[in-house]
Amino acid sequence: MSSAAGIAPYNEDQAESARMIRESAAGHASDIARIRALRFTTHGFAADAYREMAELGWIGLAVPEAAGGSGLGMIELVTLAEELGRGLVPEPIIPATLSALLLAEAGETELLGQLLAGEAVVLTAWQDRAGTLTPSLDAGATRRFIPMAAGATHFLVPTTAGLGVLPAAEADLVTEPTNDGGNLGTLRPGAYRSVGQANPGPALDKAALATAAYLLGGMEAAFAMTLAYLNTRQQFGKIIGTFQALQHKAVDVKVQIALTRASVEAAAAGIDNGATGDAASALVSRAKARASEASMTVGQMCVQLSGGIGYTDDYDVGLYLRKAMTLAPLFGGAALHRARFMKLSPETEDA
Amino acid sequence: MSVIAGVEPEDLNALDDESFRLVVRRWIEANYPPELRNPPKRLHWEENNPWYFKLAEKGWLCPGWPREYGGLGLGPIKQIIFTEELERWGCARSNDHGIIMLGPLLIRYGSEEQKKHYLPKILSGEHVWCQGYSEPNSGSDLASLRTSAVLDGDEYVVNGQKIWTTLASDANWIFLLVRTDPTAKKQEGISFLLVDMNTPGITVRPIINLEMHDEFCEVFFDNVRVPKANLVGQLNKGWDMAKALLSFERIYLGSPRQSAYALTRLKQLAEKMGVFDDPSFAGTYAKLRTDFEDLKSLYGRYVEVLKRGQSLGADVSQLKIVQSELFQRITETMMAISAENAGLMEPMEGNRNLNPAGLYIQARPTTIYGGTSEIQRNIIAKNVLGLPG
Repeated sequence: MSSAAGIAPYNEDQAESARMIRESAAGHASDIARIRALRFTTHGFAADAYREMAELGWIGLAVPEAAGGSGLGMIELVTLAEELGRGLVPEPIIPATLSALLLAEAGETELLGQLLAGEAVVLTAWQDRAGTLTPSLDAGATRRFIPMAAGATHFLVPTTAGLGVLPAAEADLVTEPTNDGGNLGTLRPGAYRSVGQANPGPALDKAALATAAYLLGGMEAAFAMTLAYLNTRQQFGKIIGTFQALQHKAVDVKVQIALTRASVEAAAAGIDNGATGDAASALVSRAKARASEASMTVGQMCVQLSGGIGYTDDYDVGLYLRKAMTLAPLFGGAALHRARFMKLSPETEDA
Repeated sequence: MSVIAGVEPEDLNALDDESFRLVVRRWIEANYPPELRNPPKRLHWEENNPWYFKLAEKGWLCPGWPREYGGLGLGPIKQIIFTEELERWGCARSNDHGIIMLGPLLIRYGSEEQKKHYLPKILSGEHVWCQGYSEPNSGSDLASLRTSAVLDGDEYVVNGQKIWTTLASDANWIFLLVRTDPTAKKQEGISFLLVDMNTPGITVRPIINLEMHDEFCEVFFDNVRVPKANLVGQLNKGWDMAKALLSFERIYLGSPRQSAYALTRLKQLAEKMGVFDDPSFAGTYAKLRTDFEDLKSLYGRYVEVLKRGQSLGADVSQLKIVQSELFQRITETMMAISAENAGLMEPMEGNRNLNPAGLYIQARPTTIYGGTSEIQRNIIAKNVLGLPG
């Protein structure tokens, strides 16, 4: 697939590994019937599929080799996430990646091994309220909005005393169904076993960026369906794609997708090329703000361009909109990330 | 306020607007079934009919119909107030195709027998109507519809399929646009037919929509025999009548009720999320609020046209564009301020007033049904602005 937005901001080696990941992921993440069947089930995802994905190395993709991962960069991670989004994969690969990065940093090996093997579903419970990018470190605070929490085997809870682990069997957990057929969990404080120190910030940024890429993949897929529809549906004796009003809307969708791709890949390349701290966070914020907002706009417009059929549950375009409704605010929505971008980014960022 | 006590429906038009508002408000608050407030989804007939019957018993079911047919004969401003008060209290929309669509059409085009037979049955709830217009290949291009009605003795034999038929599974009657002259120009071979849903050969299949709700249906007709007397108006003149009805529909869909409902919920949600202190939200809210007031003013002008007994021009399409797109923007703002709560399927904390995702989804099809925003813009470009093409 050629990058319509021009030359991707990464080198030949990365392009090659990204291509391989894309092919491998596409082969394992494109079964919409499976995705439909899992919606609104107890866990919202399949444990065996999760294990299979772990065995393909997806959870450990960006985890250092020394800790048992593949040691690949953000370009590879966003490429994988994009394919997951294209296929609407419900297995919590991105939240598990966040946990793997934190466990690796803390030097914990046993649970990390199980996580990378797909034997454990470890989810990080970092936020104590809606609309924040700052992890709570209060061991007494209830943790909220834990994606796919109903299927967790362990929770990872950052506290001032270090990274705490709580087996799901001991957890006081409530889950609520989400628009995409998954769930969000609320976890009351428990007796955490501390497994070492880790700074959640950089790993949360990686999860936010991967989520942006997931949303990007979803936009691409919904748009491809919509274009196909514009090229076949007839009204007034014409293919509706010949109507300029619809052509211009389609172009607007295309532009949003191009901007999202440019922003996501620039952030990934920036981090791979050494951006850290505030510089990395500013890149991530720009990408996640774009992806969060664009995924909603694109989802809405794809429904509109599909007409009545776009508003049926049987038609896949709606699945992408419902996914965007759920994921756009996770790891920070557009407004939150824009505000952080303005706080972090020097005016000379693009000098 | 003593004027309000003991007021009878006959006096409603005589009240000044604010007294009227209070009468309506007081009665709604006293009589609306509390468990039906702010339904997260459109209710089915068996759920909403207690309210339907209550309105009917009070004589308030059809505020816009003339009194001689059992309506309230309310003036346009009072109709708006009536609607505002229903929205304010979070009253469910009933199965109202008979009230809003068919009633006005029969009053204008029906025979005396048809008016006498059908209108009272709408008022009593004996007939619950649905509207059979769209077909799988005739959406925006409605006039291309192909469901056929062929005269055989004293009956029409109907074959074909309708789609997006709202609450067809609740209805016992359907009004249909059917093709009665396949050789004529597409708009000139269409007739308007009333069909008992219990006639053999009709199959209803619900469609699950993006709300995960079975509000819309497909309706299939397989050699359905309909008495000739069920034709409304002249043969092959159905399109003109339906077009007249579509302007009723556009003014209904252009009424500020959905935006009013959503704006009230946005305010409640914003208070809950504590964002009124955020200058960026305050600016957005101010824009939505003034857009809403302007919509009300625009709506009032169209209602005034009707009040003078004039018919609405093609420009009423702009009302539907403004209303539906404002409704959508309000719900998009709700999603934006809800942060992670926007991802939840169910209302926040079980409070139906705090339902960002539900309202956001409900707002999506408003720019599709009743003529898409694109079609409404085409109508204005061609018929109002006189642009070529």
